[in-house]
Amino acid sequence: MPGIDECLLEAMRLPGARGAALVDWTSGLALGAVGESPGGDHETTAAEAAELARLAAEHGAFAATDDPGGERPPVEDLIVSNRDSYHLLRFVDTSFDSSVFLHLWLTRAEGNLALARIRLGEMAERLVLG
Amino acid sequence: MTVVDLPPPLPVRDKATAVERAWGGVSPMLTRLAAERATGVLVREGGALHLDGGLVTYAESPLALGLDALLTAHGTVRGEVWREALSRADEHRGVARFLLSGGHLAEGALQLCHLAALYDAAYFALAPSSTPGRFRYGVGHRLGAVVPVPVAALERETLRRRDLLHRIWPDPRPDQAPLVRTRTAAAPRLTGRQQSLLDRIDGTRTAADLARELGRQAFHTLVDVRRLAAAGLIAPRPSPEPPSPPTAPGAASAAYGVPGPVPPPPGAAGLPPPGLADPPPPDIAERLAHTTDPHITLLKRLRDALEAL
Repeated sequence: MPGIDECLLEAMRLPGARGAALVDWTSGLALGAVGESPGGDHETTAAEAAELARLAAEHGAFAATDDPGGERPPVEDLIVSNRDSYHLLRFVDTSFDSSVFLHLWLTRAEGNLALARIRLGEMAERLVLG
Repeated sequence: MTVVDLPPPLPVRDKATAVERAWGGVSPMLTRLAAERATGVLVREGGALHLDGGLVTYAESPLALGLDALLTAHGTVRGEVWREALSRADEHRGVARFLLSGGHLAEGALQLCHLAALYDAAYFALAPSSTPGRFRYGVGHRLGAVVPVPVAALERETLRRRDLLHRIWPDPRPDQAPLVRTRTAAAPRLTGRQQSLLDRIDGTRTAADLARELGRQAFHTLVDVRRLAAAGLIAPRPSPEPPSPPTAPGAASAAYGVPGPVPPPPGAAGLPPPGLADPPPPDIAERLAHTTDPHITLLKRLRDALEAL
């Protein structure tokens, strides 16, 4: 059963991975971080990514239609791409109260977005279910 | 009015100033204990921090749910499983070991929930207090080591959380007081979490009561409470009689419009103090609290602005 660090290190083994973090999107706190971070500071990146995650999670426009207003994260993941990299944010669904997501930063040249999205979803599940 | 109601941005810590402020800004005693790698428990007015070798291993506060409450509130771990683990834990093998080895919880889930509970309770334990903390040297917490957190990281995060609340809504009164619903002409669209919080506001429950009832992290509840207050949907219940004794550490000095000996930073009103050095008579405090004297209101605004720096 992986802990937070093992989960992040596993994410770093994906092709093109540059950095990974587990972030609380209500407070903006990085609960764990490995590798690099855009701008060089994991805490700043976590706070900025948390803002994006919160907007996506709180606005009804992006919520799944089967459980609007529920306690579970209404969004599965977020993808942001730019000229040289991808950012993948995967919401972690826990049975206890939390608001966390996994943030993976990939280089565009080596990263495989489709693969990373599937793997990160599996990792998010294993993180809380073992 | 635009369609979306953008929440204020999360504050990004300026490292240089944060380090400076954390140095003695949160708890000089804690900084010293970390430096000497102490083991034991630091009891402060708002809660307690458990240290092991200078690292924080657990935090508890009457205002926040403990790890046990967070885990059992929504059935992640059954109550009897927790109690059994607690009864079998000893100095060498903590509660965490039993939960993990018994397969009751994944390690990631335990770490995640533990960190959430730790930062949550530490926010209240590190709130400004009017009495000095006490440290009892001894053994580590019964939970056992899960993810120890360095003191500096905890202090930085606590300061950042105060800033976050202050940016949402600069009035800290809703954090402590019983809450009432208020009418507003243009209510924003609420999230499911905010709605279930709002539904339970009845003029008697405080933010801490709501967090406990809903099995949620107390700080997350404060974020929602301040947002609802900013949206004009809730307000602290006005006290029916003159405030006596003062309800917040800064209340008495705030009433006089000057900072007290321990000015509470914005966003983190401490717990009710056992006794201020020289509380003003209730009638004067009441009169000053509602004064319209331009000099006093100017001083109050100046104080608020300085605290917001």
